[in-house]
Amino acid sequence: MTVLDGPNRELQKASGHRATFFSYLHEWVATSDHKKLGIMYVTSGLLFFLIGGLEASMMRWQLAWSGLEVVGPEEFNRLFTMHGTTMVFLVGMPILLGVANYLVPLMIGARDLAFPRLNAFGFWLFLFGGLLLYFSYFGAQGLYGMGSSPDVGWFAYAPLTERTFTRGHSTDYWILGIGISGFGSIATGINLITTIMTMRCPGMSLMKMPLFVWLMFIDAILIMIAMPPLTAAQVMLLFDRWLGAQFFDTGNGGSAVLWQNLFWFFGHPEVYILILPAFAYVSEIIPVFSRKVIFGYPLMVAATIAIGFISLGVWVHHMFALGLSPMVNAIFMGSTMLIAVPTGIKMFNWIATLYGGKLRFQTPMLFSMGFLTQFLLGGLTGIMLAVVPFDWQVSDSYFVVGHFHYVLFGGLVFSIFAAIYYWLPKVSGRMLSETIGKWHFWLLFIGFNLTFGPMHVSGMLGMPRRIYTYHPDRGWELWNLLSSIGVLFQIAGILFFAYNVINSVLRGKKAGDDPWDAWTLEWTTTSPPPEYNFSEIPTVHSRRPLWDQKHPEDPDWKYE
Amino acid sequence: MSQASANAMPAAVSTDPPVAKRRNLNRGKVGMACLICSEITFFGTLLATYLYYIGRDISGPFPHEVLDISVAPMKVVFNSIFLLTSSIWIVLAVKALRKGNIKMFGFWWLLTILFGVEFLVGTGMEWYGLIAEDGLTIRTNLFGSGFYTVVGFHAGHVCCGLILLTIVFVLTACGFMHKRHAHKVDMLSWYWHFVDGIWIAVFTIVYIIGYV
Amino acid sequence: MSTEEFRPRTPEPPGIDLPAPTSSPFTCAFGVTLIAAGLVTQWVVTIIGAMLMLVGAIGWFREVHPDNREDRIPLEPDADPVAPRTQQVRRLMGQARHRQRVPAEIHPYSAGIWGGIIGGIVMAIVATIGSLIEHGSLWYACNILSATLLIGVETQTVEQLSQFNATSLIVGLLIQGIMSVFVGLIYGVTLPMIPRFPLLFAALFVPLVWSGLTWATISVINPALKTNIDWYWFIGAQVTFGIIAGLWIIRTEKIGTMQNWTYLERFGMESPGIRSQGGEDE
Repeated sequence: MTVLDGPNRELQKASGHRATFFSYLHEWVATSDHKKLGIMYVTSGLLFFLIGGLEASMMRWQLAWSGLEVVGPEEFNRLFTMHGTTMVFLVGMPILLGVANYLVPLMIGARDLAFPRLNAFGFWLFLFGGLLLYFSYFGAQGLYGMGSSPDVGWFAYAPLTERTFTRGHSTDYWILGIGISGFGSIATGINLITTIMTMRCPGMSLMKMPLFVWLMFIDAILIMIAMPPLTAAQVMLLFDRWLGAQFFDTGNGGSAVLWQNLFWFFGHPEVYILILPAFAYVSEIIPVFSRKVIFGYPLMVAATIAIGFISLGVWVHHMFALGLSPMVNAIFMGSTMLIAVPTGIKMFNWIATLYGGKLRFQTPMLFSMGFLTQFLLGGLTGIMLAVVPFDWQVSDSYFVVGHFHYVLFGGLVFSIFAAIYYWLPKVSGRMLSETIGKWHFWLLFIGFNLTFGPMHVSGMLGMPRRIYTYHPDRGWELWNLLSSIGVLFQIAGILFFAYNVINSVLRGKKAGDDPWDAWTLEWTTTSPPPEYNFSEIPTVHSRRPLWDQKHPEDPDWKYE
Repeated sequence: MSQASANAMPAAVSTDPPVAKRRNLNRGKVGMACLICSEITFFGTLLATYLYYIGRDISGPFPHEVLDISVAPMKVVFNSIFLLTSSIWIVLAVKALRKGNIKMFGFWWLLTILFGVEFLVGTGMEWYGLIAEDGLTIRTNLFGSGFYTVVGFHAGHVCCGLILLTIVFVLTACGFMHKRHAHKVDMLSWYWHFVDGIWIAVFTIVYIIGYV
Repeated sequence: MSTEEFRPRTPEPPGIDLPAPTSSPFTCAFGVTLIAAGLVTQWVVTIIGAMLMLVGAIGWFREVHPDNREDRIPLEPDADPVAPRTQQVRRLMGQARHRQRVPAEIHPYSAGIWGGIIGGIVMAIVATIGSLIEHGSLWYACNILSATLLIGVETQTVEQLSQFNATSLIVGLLIQGIMSVFVGLIYGVTLPMIPRFPLLFAALFVPLVWSGLTWATISVINPALKTNIDWYWFIGAQVTFGIIAGLWIIRTEKIGTMQNWTYLERFGMESPGIRSQGGEDE
């Protein structure tokens, strides 16, 4: 085809010219390769992670002791809004979509996603949506005509977000930025579903897919179902703000409860959209580093589907303190407790996979262990919060903050690091340093628990979330100081990580095709894989095709 | 399948078991089905909001005043029939294209577009009546907000569909359409059916439930 | 929309067709963003965005119509072929069980129950001795224990707590009995799964963790009770329970579970040769 359009690397290689910066840039901008897009997804997610982490550090600095004035109350509102929004929409979503983008085709033996161009479109929508949100720091007219970012909290409760209460454009930036990146997520979600349904290699029936693919499949379905309601709610809010509609205008019969319902109908599945990929990563890593098959594969699949279903029916537990009828509260308390059952099944299956295994505590495994323990703690406090009277006691306190950070940071972020240590050798062809990786893990582990453990206590002592400072006589100082000290450890850990990644990509040890002696299809390719992934589409006979090749005398398909 | 292959295997070491032939689904169809699913949850949210707000207005005009069963709905029913029958024409069009009959394809396709346009014009006229005569705008009350949002988004989807249909028609007229494009055009017809299906839901909720 | 299948059949020149790179999705996405950005800045931005989106959409359309535009990617050297491992798979107990491993032998449940009961009795004796030494009363420890259920006990003075109280005695005995059996059962199931030093786990680790947990949370759960507990005796009693129950359980003979049996064995079929086949038939 036309050489003019695409940058033709091979041509340049052949003629001995080095690619210029612009042709290099154009190669990335114009690509529809799932691997390049995956890399861009994860990289931009990590950059946003740094920004969101910086915002969190500012808040912890402000709260380290009572009566500090590091940032003012208005700036504090912006910080927690942008921190939450960034971490959920611009860190969690792109990283999970990026990793899935990179790995799903490789794991199912395909050459690309089903709609490669739509994939590129989805990525750019996400990136531009995120940039639009951050442009609000310069572009939104705040109270005094100065630029300011959204300050209404990441769940943007109406009617606070109505024009009457939030003047200027900051909330509009929140709606538009999140809306656009939401479209991107829906597009990529649909793409993943289609890919998994239509492009599996010969022999890979649904029950022979790696668990990673199963989890991302359910995850993509949740994205497809749960994101549009948020868009619809945002559209209504936008109509309220610009066209004078009255959906959430409580003065004219509009309902504040409706926004909460609509937002959390998206918001709770969203939490599972974020945590299912974490399950996906550890479900691949734990068996490989235990040298055993994942325990109870069919049950894991069933539990995943159950989680997907139930997660669509638990959203009211975010609204227990609202004063809905006891019957409604009881029903949603029940469904929330119910979701602990499939999650518990997963927990036990991972532990049973570890049991009797030949464990190798390399960095990916360490992070997976961190995930198991911390996610367990977060899950347990989650069950506590599902109990209505207990929720009334600590609703909107730092206990809740501690809880969801244990789930999303201790769970998701730790598993993301596990995934990066595990799969980056495939992506870049070079190993990450084990020593630095262990420093990274322990610093982050200590820092994380030091930061978010004490939050449970300060929450029990009555400290509400989203306050920018507090009186000295409440007994909260010690716990807040501990939390803030923990941040220092975390920052150190992240610095180790950044150094490790850059160092390894530039001059790390060569990884080879299969550094972990793993069993899924992505490890049959070169590192990094060629643009077409597989020169010949593979045929599989079991869930561990590479095991079958390595142990022809004892193949898996006899036992599945 | 896994069971069967495991049992069929003799005890000897590794000759790989035969792999069952599996016909992969068509990507376009799955993709379009997913898109329709997510669109349904989008409209579902809007319609749930509309349902929730029925009867909560504190000031008029109320649905039973302006959507009077004896006057306005007649027009609406008329429009709806146009939109729903257009689904039949598009099916015929795709059938014609599958057979390679480009002329008949063009004819049915154009008929679909015309019926769709009639629906849009009808909606426009209804809106004109509501705004000019009854004074119902999006900022009047909850009913106005909900009505214009729901019906407006549906009309937007019809519009979007019409643009795509028109592009296909122009391509057909210029002779760029072939039998091998039938499955792509089929996807478009799925979208059109979805737009029609959503209209049934909108009609039921806005003009029947909302009225009573 | 690309509905064309990739063509894996070998074409000439050798290579694989992949979708050609295109910047149209980028342009289109940028246009969409500018449309939105224009709404909150200047309407001109929206116009530019709409134009860009149109350009992107047309470019995109030309990529997929009349046929998907594809580039031929030349083949690169393949990955090294996977060599079969020379060493055989290590198997557990001569069975095909390296895939899944479950506790093959456990202590019988009765061992857990008896261990719990005996441990509980000795623990109660130690606690009572403790309260005799500290407060000169037989009933102090029992009264404190009952305060976990009974309301009002925690506000009593030390003198009141040293008195005999029939309700407290019954409640205390109930709690002690149920908890002992329960913990004993858990011990019975858990101890065989501890890879090394199960007695250390039972006698020190669990009692210390439990005591620490109680100490840390009691100020939240029942603040008034905190001052009345003699912590050294508390730990001592817990450890006693751990030692006695743990020893009792570990000394009982393990029984095999059905986990490693073949289906034939599970059905109760007995015939020579079944056992030697192991789990191969599963």
